[in-house]
Amino acid sequence: MIYLIHRMKKFLTIVKAFWQRALTYRFTVLVYRIGEIGETLVLILMWSAIYGGQKNIGGLTLQEMITYILIGNFFNAIIRNFLSSVIARDIKDGRLSMFLIKPMGYFSYILSQEIGRISLATMMSVLSSTLVIIFFINTFIWDFDVTYLLVILAMVILAFIAELLLSYLIGLIAFWTDEVDGLYATIDRIKKFFSGGYFPLNLLPIAFVQVSFALPFAYSFFVPAQLYLKKVDLSTGLKGLLIQIIWILVLYGIIKIVWNRGLKRYEGVGI
Amino acid sequence: MTDIEVKNLSRTYEYYRKQQGLLGSFKSLFHREKLYAEAVKNISFSIESGELIGFLGPNGAGKTTTLKMLSGILHPTNGEVKVLGHIPSQREKIYQKQFALVMGQKNQLIQDLPAIETFVVNKEIYEIPDKEFQENLEELVNLFDIKNILDIQVRKLSLGQRMKCELVAALLHKPKVLFLDEPTIGLDVVAQKNIRDFIKKYNREKKTTIILTSHYMEDIKELCQRVIIINLGKIIYDGKLDDLIKKYAPHKLLKVVFNGNGVRREEVEKFGEIDEFNPYVCTFKTNRSEAKNTAVALLSSNLPVDDIIIDEVDIDDVVRKIFTSQS
Ligand SMILES: Nc1ncnc2c1ncn2[C@@H]1O[C@H](COP(=O)(O)OP(=O)(O)O)[C@@H](O)[C@H]1O
Ligand SMILES: [Mg+2]
Repeated sequence: MIYLIHRMKKFLTIVKAFWQRALTYRFTVLVYRIGEIGETLVLILMWSAIYGGQKNIGGLTLQEMITYILIGNFFNAIIRNFLSSVIARDIKDGRLSMFLIKPMGYFSYILSQEIGRISLATMMSVLSSTLVIIFFINTFIWDFDVTYLLVILAMVILAFIAELLLSYLIGLIAFWTDEVDGLYATIDRIKKFFSGGYFPLNLLPIAFVQVSFALPFAYSFFVPAQLYLKKVDLSTGLKGLLIQIIWILVLYGIIKIVWNRGLKRYEGVGI
Repeated sequence: MTDIEVKNLSRTYEYYRKQQGLLGSFKSLFHREKLYAEAVKNISFSIESGELIGFLGPNGAGKTTTLKMLSGILHPTNGEVKVLGHIPSQREKIYQKQFALVMGQKNQLIQDLPAIETFVVNKEIYEIPDKEFQENLEELVNLFDIKNILDIQVRKLSLGQRMKCELVAALLHKPKVLFLDEPTIGLDVVAQKNIRDFIKKYNREKKTTIILTSHYMEDIKELCQRVIIINLGKIIYDGKLDDLIKKYAPHKLLKVVFNGNGVRREEVEKFGEIDEFNPYVCTFKTNRSEAKNTAVALLSSNLPVDDIIIDEVDIDDVVRKIFTSQS
């Protein structure tokens, strides 16, 4: 127990330091949020134009579609992170070496750092998404079904963890190649596509939807948003949680393997 | 007690030939030409507790590589390393809590925050008890006289101030062994002196075992009684600094800058052995004891002297001397 408190304190100290660091960049953080609000608004405008007089696209009315976009972006604001490029930089610049000699694992350190780093951005994103939702208060569908909300909450937390692990894994690619920025941008697009961030996945063929239910990405946007709209039922939601847990375990296992192999290489090449 | 024991240590780097252009990068995903660099070749030495050793050598000699192996960043290709009874590459926590590595070229301070934040983070990482942390911090802050910069964003500090903070961050957990890799690199003369004085004082007071690498004679001369000289991955000298200076570096360099129309060679020849000459800048090689007198003589002559700098000879020069004397 004392050990746990100890670890927690370690963790929180690092979180706090990087939270402060983020505060020194509050202006940048703010500007990014304005960009995000703009993106959401463009999506809503675009869909309004596409609907024209149409009542229903992919099983969603315009009102539902707008809610989908708003609530999905709200969840996504909580879930995402920017860990990959941080790790890539540590590896490329050889800063990783300075962690290897410290009595704390790089994984724990970098996770606490990232949580500290993004918590401000996350809070502001949540705030700005909320503002946009309030702006569309008449269009937005309000639904507070507690069981659904609990499942959604669990899903968002698991999605946060899965995304952290995934970003960590992607960041480790830097062990093998120098040029990662383009690669990360591409992977981010693919992730967003599979998460349903551009448009609801059920606009695509059914086989595609089934595949994406087996992947971790849909649980960061599409599934929780659909759950909120009650377009998928609770059992799908619960099954989703299980799939997420499996993914988290799998990712953790892959990370261990990739980390060890990467470290071997890092030591061999001696950056 | 022997703190550091190195036996027949070697390290070879693997690296890959960099391919040009986009096509090249793409090709290199599938096939890359592997090359090898022998950075450290079969070196042995041992260091007693409390010693302050100068590890001297030209650029690319293998100093950083050796320190990386001593701190466990790199695995040796061959040979053995033991520090405080531990094998560094096993990265045991008990070992990691007992040493520190500071690199002049790499920073561990969080750049966007005041240094104090890194100190607090390190306190947690090294699990330093509150009371001990407060005491150590206060002591180090006083030693370095950095109380007034603790709250300033690291990014906004001068290089010298940053290096002081780097050292403090590395010493908070009271390491028994300290590796300093060119800690004065890039610093101005005053800052260099500050850092050196600190290292000297710290070693004397805490009896910490210190290895200090440098490619400057100056750094080592003031601090260390014993030097190890490494060149092209091999140790070519391990012994007393005094002996080294007597045998291989009996000279100092006296660099004289002339203004106006400069001088002719005949005019300056009588002041000492000329190392390099052009009408505006002339470098003399003088005996250590003679350096000041020669400077005075130059200044009191009617030559148009603008500036005089007395400097240590180049490490490359020393290395050359050692080689010629051995062969
Ligand atoms: N990561 C690396 N890959 C290939 N060669 C390297 C690497 N790091 C250092 N070297 C080579 O090993 C030799 C020793 O380097 P280093 O230990 O950094 O020297 P020093 O610190 O004395 O300047 C140099 O020739 C250098 O080019
Ligand atoms: Mg070096």
